[in-house]
Amino acid sequence: MRELVELKRFARAAAALVARDPEVGQFEIYCASSDLRIARLNFTSDIPCRGIEEMKSNGADGFQVRIAKRRNPREFGAAFESGDLTLDAVRAVLARAHRAAVIDPFFPGFAGGARAVRLAAAPGGDLARAGDAPIVAAAWSIVRGALGEFAHSEAARVSRPRLVVGGDLTVLHDRIALVSSNFSDVRGDESARFSSSVTALIESLDAKGTASAMGTRVAEMKRAAAHLGRDAVNRALTLAGGARPGSGTYRVVLGPQPVAEILNYMVIGSLTTGAFHAADSAYQGRFGAQVMDSRLSLADEPAMRAGAVRRRITCEGLPARRVALVRDGRLVGLLSNFYDTYRLQADEDRAEKLGPGADGAPFKPLSGYRLGEGGARSHEHAPASSGTNVVMKARGGVADAGLIRTVGDGLYIGRVWYTYPINGRRAGDFTCTVSGDSYLIRNGKLAEPLAPNALRINSNIDRVFRRVLAVGRRSHPAIVWGAPEAYYVPALAVNALEFSAVGDSLP
Amino acid sequence: MAKQDLFAGIEFLKAGGEELLAQFARSHRGVLYADLRFEAVFRRSAAATNGEPRHGGESETAGFGVSVHAERSGAIGHGYCGAEVGRVALERRKLTTAIRAALNRAFERARLNAREKSAALKHLGAAAHTLANGGLAPRPPIREEVAAVFRHDPRSLSPDAPKQLTLDASMAVRGLGREIAFNTVAAMSELRQEIFASTEGSLIAQGFAFSEGDCYVVAQAGSGGHQEIFDTIGQQRGFEALAEGYRDELLPSPDLRTFALQLANEARELACAPVLKPPDREVTVVTDPHFNALLAHEVVGHPSEADRALKMEAAYAGRSWFLRSIDDTEIGRSVGSPLVSACSDPTLYGYGHYRFDHEGTPGRRVMHIDRGVFSGFINSRATAAVLGLEPNGSARASEVYYVPLIRMSNTFFLPGESAPEKIIGEVDRGYYVVAHAIPSIAESRENFRISARRVYEIENGRIGRLYRSGSVIADSKRFFMNVDAVGNDLRLIAIPNCGKGQPMQVKRMSNGGPTMRSRAMLGGG
Repeated sequence: MRELVELKRFARAAAALVARDPEVGQFEIYCASSDLRIARLNFTSDIPCRGIEEMKSNGADGFQVRIAKRRNPREFGAAFESGDLTLDAVRAVLARAHRAAVIDPFFPGFAGGARAVRLAAAPGGDLARAGDAPIVAAAWSIVRGALGEFAHSEAARVSRPRLVVGGDLTVLHDRIALVSSNFSDVRGDESARFSSSVTALIESLDAKGTASAMGTRVAEMKRAAAHLGRDAVNRALTLAGGARPGSGTYRVVLGPQPVAEILNYMVIGSLTTGAFHAADSAYQGRFGAQVMDSRLSLADEPAMRAGAVRRRITCEGLPARRVALVRDGRLVGLLSNFYDTYRLQADEDRAEKLGPGADGAPFKPLSGYRLGEGGARSHEHAPASSGTNVVMKARGGVADAGLIRTVGDGLYIGRVWYTYPINGRRAGDFTCTVSGDSYLIRNGKLAEPLAPNALRINSNIDRVFRRVLAVGRRSHPAIVWGAPEAYYVPALAVNALEFSAVGDSLP
Repeated sequence: MAKQDLFAGIEFLKAGGEELLAQFARSHRGVLYADLRFEAVFRRSAAATNGEPRHGGESETAGFGVSVHAERSGAIGHGYCGAEVGRVALERRKLTTAIRAALNRAFERARLNAREKSAALKHLGAAAHTLANGGLAPRPPIREEVAAVFRHDPRSLSPDAPKQLTLDASMAVRGLGREIAFNTVAAMSELRQEIFASTEGSLIAQGFAFSEGDCYVVAQAGSGGHQEIFDTIGQQRGFEALAEGYRDELLPSPDLRTFALQLANEARELACAPVLKPPDREVTVVTDPHFNALLAHEVVGHPSEADRALKMEAAYAGRSWFLRSIDDTEIGRSVGSPLVSACSDPTLYGYGHYRFDHEGTPGRRVMHIDRGVFSGFINSRATAAVLGLEPNGSARASEVYYVPLIRMSNTFFLPGESAPEKIIGEVDRGYYVVAHAIPSIAESRENFRISARRVYEIENGRIGRLYRSGSVIADSKRFFMNVDAVGNDLRLIAIPNCGKGQPMQVKRMSNGGPTMRSRAMLGGG
């Protein structure tokens, strides 16, 4: 990986070169360096396996040049280069950006602000300096913990227990430097985080348990690794012999993972200026209106102290700040990047698309990120609107046991899988299957576990977030596979969700 | 090496890649196997939104990935390292240095893994007995070159060509009227050259041309109805496939402008159509080739991946309804009616065509379902070793710096003998389900809900009223068992975005099938 000081030095030199191009009016140089390291967990008690599939990584350094032409400020182009941070490369990329240019009548220029941005010290993090050894050791610690815990259980005594331990330990480290003709300084940012998601299946018991953790320090990673494997197996052991309730409408408690999954796949994409401009937000025409229960608030918090995703500047060089999305159930803000902010502002159908409650809403471009696979900041991508730490908070929250009491008789759903907007994003309809960590609720208490993959939810986001019976007091961290955001969400008790019973004869 | 052309890295490694690996293996004790993949990609792209230019792009990238298997303390460990190197590939010395550094890093990772595995075996004893030494199924070394097929080399394509094509298409869509609330049309044409070298003596160079057009349309009707549609056309050909269309028997596609207009007209029509109010009982459904492409993808293709079947994807993409345990599989058992056959075949022309996978194994047709009986998985060398089979050339990465995963190629239902009109004409009451939209599949793919773009009533053998927001809900095996007619109209569809793995790799492939008839529940909006 390139050091931040090297990225900044290169950005400054590249800016000087691009500024000399007489055809260039505005420009922006964005440099990124990232290293994504992953140890894949793969233990199967009855199938030959590697334990850790392999320790792997992909690293990427590079820069992107975006230019707007002097002859027409709406004519802009972009191009990138990997690996080679030299002035020769800048010349080649600049020529490509010229060739790529198009005249977009809505191009607003690049983000700006003449004043230098004063940033707090970079978040400390020994994870950024950690070698491969502690990551490999931590990953094996998860596997050993899972196997050790399982070995002490009755389930291990059967001849073919079919224990499966899967998941990963992922460490992501990225740095960026950015300079623009609209800034007076070179801006930089750096972050490192780990996440680990562990799934334990005991197929002989038809049981599945999970555990996950996120953090920013080596010590946290080691502590998490020491218990994640044990936790996942323990949960699976308590979920043996699951019930298969019939189709119907149930009162439910949705645990943090299902709430995060539904937010990720169904809600966050709708809470962007781009979605409203494209007329495909699930909240079309409802800006300012009540879209969730009045006890719920939702925000993106890039500077959250305990958040796994720390951002000090966006990938457009603007200070990353909190964006309130839903306050007391009302839709009050949207994630936005610079282009989309101005594109929606210039949209002649803006009033209709947003609704009457949006009068004068500014939609600051506080969420413009360029993210590649794994959520790393990438020099290859154009800015898009994205969250960081998505936090749902609840007013009048109760303890999780109180949520279960509120439901009385129903279901506790701890994990769902494959959540998708089945009729397009704007309809808000979704479906997913209940894949583990779930129970029947009887007389206000957790009763028998639910068999994994026995129920499918067929519902709509309004039914989830507006038919709330009670809200959890605490926000829990939750990981969604493939999502760049980290979620911190409470459990919710929901009045009536539609379920259909599915597949009763398979693994 | 010539300047300004990252593709020259292919020639350099063709000449020196094997020696680089051999030197590494000689100088590092415990190396059992190593391979190197390098790739250079040139891509030209453009997009237009609502009839206005939105994006133009030209990129030339290069990267590599190295895999090392090493022994330490009596155990074997695996390590991998990938990197995007870009213009570093222009200079032999720098490229060699970068590859050597990556090999060293992968080697250290393999040794760390081996050490930890050895400790786990000692500490856990019998509980860890399946921690095998991870061999690779053997296959003879291969030395071949495969050229990309195109009429118009993406590298010599005018920057204005994709810009103009997308702009024309987007303007034409906008011109349909105010019912089209939003549209975006994108085009991409790229040339990929890749090389694979291994310490076992394989040296394979392959070229691919991909051209892809995407269209997204949001339509809304005065009645308040709305419809979003996204679809893709793609060919392993040059830009001519987008500009002029491509007439192929299996994978035909119109030109991008026609495609975008067809999609927009469909969205307009659907926005005015009523939402399907599904019957509360199982009904006869006739599914068209586009819908069956997603069915083949989700319910046959994914669960036929041996890594998924062997539980390696259990925490992510799930398991397989074709394999409960290593000695309890569906192989040789009936999973569908005798009319149902399905396979993966990379040797056919399609968006998923290739000659050799990213482990250097020749791709070949793998039958998954043969006249109703499940018959096999697509595999990698490691999973073939576990299953005691020959590798069948199905391990591929989406980008060179990622590890290969087991991936579909051209995966489809085989055709039958019935004319599609006859299949529909025989239905007294039922539904004709046309074009896939969004899937939601159970974890082992044992049941599914797949939404369709269009659902028509069938009454007395005739197609009737159109509905939107319909979906097919079924138990996978029951659905296949109930298939009572299969058409002779096999078509493949380009699938541009199949996600798998951690980090998520997004891969291109083809899926398809003929018209089929079965029974299922329907879902509505």
